Amino acid sequence: MGFDLRFGWTGPIGGVTLGATRSEGGTRRVSYRIGGGSTLPFLDSNSSFSSPLIAFEICDNPVFWPPIVRNYCGDLVNNVEDWAKTADSTYGADMIRLYLTSTRQRNFSDIPAVGKAVEAVLSATSLPLIIEGSNEPKIDSEVFQRCGEVAQGERLLLGTAEANRYRSIAAAALAYNHSLIAQSPIDVNLAKQLNILLREIGVLRDHIVIDPYTGTLGYGFEYSYSAMERIRFSALKGDTDLAMPMICSPADTLTIKEVREAESAVQDEMAATWEFYTGLAAAVAGAEIICVRHPETVGKLRLAFTSMKNGTGSAQVR
Amino acid sequence: MALKALDIYKLLPKKNCKECGDPTCLTFAMKLAGGKADVDLCPYLDDQAKAVLGATTRPPIRRVRIGVGERSFEIGEEFVLYRHEKTFFHQPGILFEVSDTQSPDEITSITKRVKDESFTRVGTDLMFSGIAVRNRSNATDSFAAAVGIVENVADLPLVLISANTAALSAALVHCGTYRPLIHAATKGNFKEMCALAKQHGCPLVIKAHQLDELAQLAKDCSAEGVQDFVMDLSPASLYEFIASSTGIRQLAITRTAPDLGYPVYLDATAGGMQDAWIALGIVKYASVIVTAPLSRASAKAALTLRQNVYTDPQKPIQMNPGLYRVGTPGKDAPVLMTVNFSLTFFTLEGYLESARIPCFMLIVDTEGLSVLTAVAAGKLNETLVLDAIRRFDVENEVSHKKLIIPGYAAPLSGRIEEATGWKVMVGPRDAAEIGDFLNEEWKR
Amino acid sequence: MRTITFLPSYRKIDVDLGTTILDAAQRAGLNINVVCGGQGKCGKCIVYVQSGKTEFDRQKHSRFFTEEELVKGACLACATRMLGDLLVFIPESTLIQEQKILIEGLETEIELHPSVRKYYVELEPPTLTNPSPDLSRLLWGIQKSGGPVAEKMYAPLEMLREIPAMLRHSDWKVTGTIALVPGGYRLIDLQENDTSKRLYGAAIDLGSTTVVVYLWDLVAGNVVGIASNYNKQISCGEDILARVNFARKNGLSKLQALAAESINTALTTASDTAGIDRDDIYEVVVAGNTVMTHMLLGIDPAYIIAEPYVPVVRRALSVAAKRLGIACNPNGGVFAFPAVSDFIGGDIIADILSCGMSEREEVSLLIDIGTNFEVVLGNREWMFSCAGAAGPALEGGEVLFGMRANPGAIDKITIDPETLKPVFSTINGIKPRGMTGSGLIDLLAELLVTCVIDRNGRINTGINNPRIRKATHFSEFVVVWAQDTGIGKDIVITENDIKNLIMSKASVHAACVTLMKEAGQSRHDIATIYFAGAFGNYLNIKNATTIGLIPEIPYDHIKNIGNGAVTGANIALINRRKRKTLDEIALKIAYIELNAEPAFMDEYTSSTFLPHTDLSLFPQVQKMLDACRLLRG
Repeated sequence: MGFDLRFGWTGPIGGVTLGATRSEGGTRRVSYRIGGGSTLPFLDSNSSFSSPLIAFEICDNPVFWPPIVRNYCGDLVNNVEDWAKTADSTYGADMIRLYLTSTRQRNFSDIPAVGKAVEAVLSATSLPLIIEGSNEPKIDSEVFQRCGEVAQGERLLLGTAEANRYRSIAAAALAYNHSLIAQSPIDVNLAKQLNILLREIGVLRDHIVIDPYTGTLGYGFEYSYSAMERIRFSALKGDTDLAMPMICSPADTLTIKEVREAESAVQDEMAATWEFYTGLAAAVAGAEIICVRHPETVGKLRLAFTSMKNGTGSAQVR
Repeated sequence: MALKALDIYKLLPKKNCKECGDPTCLTFAMKLAGGKADVDLCPYLDDQAKAVLGATTRPPIRRVRIGVGERSFEIGEEFVLYRHEKTFFHQPGILFEVSDTQSPDEITSITKRVKDESFTRVGTDLMFSGIAVRNRSNATDSFAAAVGIVENVADLPLVLISANTAALSAALVHCGTYRPLIHAATKGNFKEMCALAKQHGCPLVIKAHQLDELAQLAKDCSAEGVQDFVMDLSPASLYEFIASSTGIRQLAITRTAPDLGYPVYLDATAGGMQDAWIALGIVKYASVIVTAPLSRASAKAALTLRQNVYTDPQKPIQMNPGLYRVGTPGKDAPVLMTVNFSLTFFTLEGYLESARIPCFMLIVDTEGLSVLTAVAAGKLNETLVLDAIRRFDVENEVSHKKLIIPGYAAPLSGRIEEATGWKVMVGPRDAAEIGDFLNEEWKR
Repeated sequence: MRTITFLPSYRKIDVDLGTTILDAAQRAGLNINVVCGGQGKCGKCIVYVQSGKTEFDRQKHSRFFTEEELVKGACLACATRMLGDLLVFIPESTLIQEQKILIEGLETEIELHPSVRKYYVELEPPTLTNPSPDLSRLLWGIQKSGGPVAEKMYAPLEMLREIPAMLRHSDWKVTGTIALVPGGYRLIDLQENDTSKRLYGAAIDLGSTTVVVYLWDLVAGNVVGIASNYNKQISCGEDILARVNFARKNGLSKLQALAAESINTALTTASDTAGIDRDDIYEVVVAGNTVMTHMLLGIDPAYIIAEPYVPVVRRALSVAAKRLGIACNPNGGVFAFPAVSDFIGGDIIADILSCGMSEREEVSLLIDIGTNFEVVLGNREWMFSCAGAAGPALEGGEVLFGMRANPGAIDKITIDPETLKPVFSTINGIKPRGMTGSGLIDLLAELLVTCVIDRNGRINTGINNPRIRKATHFSEFVVVWAQDTGIGKDIVITENDIKNLIMSKASVHAACVTLMKEAGQSRHDIATIYFAGAFGNYLNIKNATTIGLIPEIPYDHIKNIGNGAVTGANIALINRRKRKTLDEIALKIAYIELNAEPAFMDEYTSSTFLPHTDLSLFPQVQKMLDACRLLRG
């Protein structure tokens, strides 16, 4: 370039492996190693770096899901297996994130059903999975134990640990060798604190993916964007308690006013565009797993990520 | 790097003469460090100290104004790589492209759209910034005619895109006094381009494929007497854009390469991925983004992202305190108190709307602080809540005396009850759970 | 007029019909605890009407009392008016209780050089050949006796009126008292014969809770009496804001009078103990927080406590004692310490003076903790200050079993790492009733190093110990079992209490770091940390560091200066040169408004962890935590 571009970075982002192939002790057709970057996102000179992963979110009880996805996906949403299959083969996602929304019904206690849902998705797709457990501390322990157990060997990404409830999920992750999502409310310090808490009870750094919480575009996304930038910056400056890959899940995007109240002809475009802008900006800020709920977003992101890859080599098949 | 107040203080005369308007040299130094005062206010600074202080306060990226009048906009004068370090000051202009090969009607309608289209978000009108006219025909007359059509419709900032100096010259007859941005000077034509820019007092895009070529071109053009540049690297891929734009910003703000201290131009018209180009342009330091007219969805998303990223992270957007209605609440509807941080407001409002439970939102004035912050800083307290209940006449709006407060304000529940006499219900910490909360706790 | 008789003391007072019980009690000299300033909000002023007719607001009362209690005569003293003779029982818990009061200052050797002095002169009577005027004759005599040069002295009119008769009556043998005031050397008193040995001054810490007086013999240079008592303004509201509100509604004059009265009571006690006449006290030096100083001077404090927090003056003030109603020599003066802002008041300037940080090259950090906290960082060249609300947790408020330093309060705790059994001491050694701020800091540190709580303050309920249990709302740790307490129930600390404590300590630490960053100083640059305030002397420095209340520096570089306000006032009283530096100090301090400082919130969040998110800032604590983790496995 003729100029000496220096940022003074000292530490790389740690790596996390998600999914396990047969040779790795699981049943997935692929496994991913995310993290490992040593400079700002997309600037690594090593062209073998993989693009951010696109995870498609599904759930086992669509009552809790945005109407726009229910309309778009139709009957699929009532069958996690078909939905997962379609997300894999038709939408072209890299990962499937299953929300066990069934556990959010009041007084939910059917723990075996949780295990069945996870097993169903495991057999419907051979992509690596993210499993999102319960919202209720009382059943956390059982839910996470069951998820961890039925997917032993698959190197799941389990969600979601928070500063006030991290012990149950950590116990399940430790027991069955899964990784977990550590979510904190849009703040670099709080993200670090949670990572420390997890480390201090024995969760290894290479089993943690940071979720700094993604606010929706137009509804505080700028805070999330800066929190991600700060986390990445601190990590590159050598803070090992923040040197983990990040996940972005703009889960509320499809229920905001702009999308909800869009004319029906453009509603899907609005939804996908909104998710796309959020996901792309988050990736630039450092997120390495981008979660989406609208099927049309997947392809848009894929195309952009390909053009964002260093070097001339076109998209590599993983 | 910015100097700390104490470092600046050491350079000051320490006379505490008050002539700068501050009581002491130290408080003056604090203002200088925060960019809230001018070095020249101190009459006793020696030249060396001035040079040190001046160098740190002069913007590392030149400020450039495009257009004149109400819709004109400024770009550049940025200081940081990350918005959280300070803020991004001047949001990029996003301009719709028209071509002189398009019909006058098409050109007129696109221009009209940029002139009139606006979205209101958090009290601000979001609009596109201007029109870029491309000399696709490469003919002089049609280019001048297209510019004339645009000028007839609206006084919008323009970018004139042509490699043909004669065409540019003809177009500048129409709009030269309105400070259009001329695109673009290259290694081959910079003398003629500079002459045009100088003649009309217009800012000029300089274009090259490598950073060092660009820096050299900036030097050469400066020598021709032009100062206001915008730099175009014509990236071939999104990757190239991120890499070069980040490089320019980093080299400029560290003052490693002063010749790169100009705003960046981005042509987002490359087919297929317009949204990606625009989104990256907004977050990664582009200051002028030229795009084909956008669909409504893309238009809204792009303008929203620009507003988000260019919000000052140190000054949260505030709502006016008051009693807001969600749906048409009756006398028995719940009253939810929260702070006037706009994000909190909109997030809660969103969840309340989707919960479809008519209710009142009582917004108290925490000066834009979020709940957690306001509780920590003591800004949110029982007096504030009591004042709000009285000021907005809540007792006459509802027939009950139950107030739902945010989960993070739980430590205040006792004191709020004591001060207001209202029964306080502590709501969830996460606004997402407000629907469930209302269904379970309120309706019970 | 009707009579109220208060039980159990049988104190009686006659008051007008319609007077509130609170007013009557205050007039009878009973200090009733009124947190809200008598607005009927706090429910602290509970009394029992045993006979007689009263009038009260039923709705206000129903919030605090059951029907059964109302039948028993329970009512709020502030919201109940008398309609006839009354017999009222005041439970002990309603009265403000005796507190442990700090009267120890810093050991400092200061030269005796007061700003008021007495000179005994024997003058030549005037004659036809020596007809110089009485005043010149007197001032010349004073100059000859070692006083200031005559031209620099002056006498006010009231003295001029006394001089002729006094000189002649005393046969020209008089003692003149000269005070250095802003206008020059002023003759403030003239007495017959030699009274030059009878010269006293008082140094006063005017706190919002207590008033402390040190009475000095300004000739011999020693303390002759010490006294302290409650600030009587407490009856108008426990905290400063309540009192400012009171001032707004009922006028400032009552608060001004109460401030003066509080000082006078202490002054009287001290002078009585010392066996001296109050008229021989010629100067009173007062260090108080900004609002207290404003109130004593009768200046409306409403403006300084609102944005943009501008004080009326930023320099020290000298006022004639009689104008403030201070019961010393009527011509004596009151010297009030300067204030910088709403929070950085005379008390903080006095702290600075007493620790001497403004005279040294090396950088010191001064922290004064009460309900609010103030932090000053600097050296002789520059000083930054800030202040914030620590929240009442550090003083024992907003914590379930928190209490002030009253008898029965646990003020020191250690926990056995094996059995988790706490070992503690209480004030006055009686059965525990609650925990003070210093006790809570000990407890938090001990819970952390025994790994009962994680660094986020969450109790590890996985530990199998009866003291750790889940209650309805929060998990909690049992500090003392019910049978061992003086209140008959388990004294516990809940996760919520811990959260409040962490929030409070985080504010203090974040304020320190914000100042350090502003000044570009790391913890290694700080030579000494000074703790001031009532809290100071009881604070366990190591535990304060362990929880991250303050930046970690070597423990022996952290010093408690106790009541720095009174020490500073002492210094200013006995040495006028030191006093002269006060305005310079006040001017030098740059005040940083934390609410406007974006970096503060960042520091705050990273401080809401034990001891801090960045453990490398706490190397000693890190060692301790590593050791305890090994123990727990």
